[in-house]
Amino acid sequence: MIEKLREKGAGNPFKCVQCGSCTSACPVNLIQEGFNPRRIVGSLARFNRIPDQDPWLCSTCSLCSERCPQGVDPLSIILVLRAVLYENGGTAPAGVLKMVEQVKETGLAFSPTLESRERRRLLGLPEAGLSTEGLREVRRILSEAGFK
Amino acid sequence: MSLALYPGCVIRTVHPEVEKAVKETLSRLGVSFQEKTEASCCAPSWFFSLSREAWLRLNERNMRIFKSTVVTACDDCFASLSDAFRVLASRNGVKPPEVKPFQALLLERLREVKPRLGFTGLRCAVQHSCRFLRPSGRGLDNPEDPKIVKSVLEMLGFLPVSYERELDCCGGFLSDENIGREMARVKAGSAEKAGADCIVATCSHCMLRLSPVSNIPVLHLAQLSAFSLGLDPVQAGFPEALLRRMVKR
Repeated sequence: MIEKLREKGAGNPFKCVQCGSCTSACPVNLIQEGFNPRRIVGSLARFNRIPDQDPWLCSTCSLCSERCPQGVDPLSIILVLRAVLYENGGTAPAGVLKMVEQVKETGLAFSPTLESRERRRLLGLPEAGLSTEGLREVRRILSEAGFK
Repeated sequence: MSLALYPGCVIRTVHPEVEKAVKETLSRLGVSFQEKTEASCCAPSWFFSLSREAWLRLNERNMRIFKSTVVTACDDCFASLSDAFRVLASRNGVKPPEVKPFQALLLERLREVKPRLGFTGLRCAVQHSCRFLRPSGRGLDNPEDPKIVKSVLEMLGFLPVSYERELDCCGGFLSDENIGREMARVKAGSAEKAGADCIVATCSHCMLRLSPVSNIPVLHLAQLSAFSLGLDPVQAGFPEALLRRMVKR
């Protein structure tokens, strides 16, 4: 795991002194104590394995990285954990996978609906969405990046 | 030079009235812009988490389409585009194209144009987005005491109000609905308790998260700026509840 973090340009868990500034700043930890950035970084440094915490519980607010006195950047580590989980078995929240599907379908993460099309028309706005050619290009990029 | 306008997927498809308000604001302040309808999703953090390569390649394509300084209407798009452009430009040893968030451009233009605007007395609680404030290395605003959106509101004739949970994250990017909703509920409740008439956001994910749980309306800054610059409030997408409060004031 440590090698993966280095490869993907994430922060270095070995610089962490376990002071807990990240966790005391974490807004998710305030509601769900089980989500603990200090422990995520600590278990990587100590055991070099994927910590037993869901990296998708992170709100990506980046307060942990902002407050870290050691420049560890816990958020960058959490984002790599998400990528590794996805690469190892396609695990990601359904809502996230749905948005990827929508990008494949329309080029946008949220698809225009009949209702939103009508509201755009009434406001004098052009149709939202890419041309057939643009969409083909986006789909090619996604398929080459490994999205089936 | 003309700017490239990037409203973002959510604004295009869920909040078209915000897109309208952004365009009206820019036109009324004499900013020339071009809409780049061929640009795709900017693949922000949730996408980036799955594939860094897809994030970079989609934005390489977007960069080719923009060809000039980009103005974003959503802070998540702002962060994704500017981070990706920086990585792409450093690979090629060139300077990255500039990405400007709507509120920063608005502040610049209001200082230049100095329009004479009326005072509405509407009390606004600002939802400072995480993507705009951090990392502080971006140097846009002070993340511990942000001022930009508040200054813009004052210049537009609104009254920014401070509230206890002002700097909290709204939970907009949480996939866990229960935790996300709880964070938003606490935040919106704190804004209401401080006597705000509405919450003002600059990130469409903050709007999506806060709107369903807030007792007071949640608007984009562009809706307020367009109204202040003369756009009909109904066209600017002001909800009826807010119109009533305005009449009362």
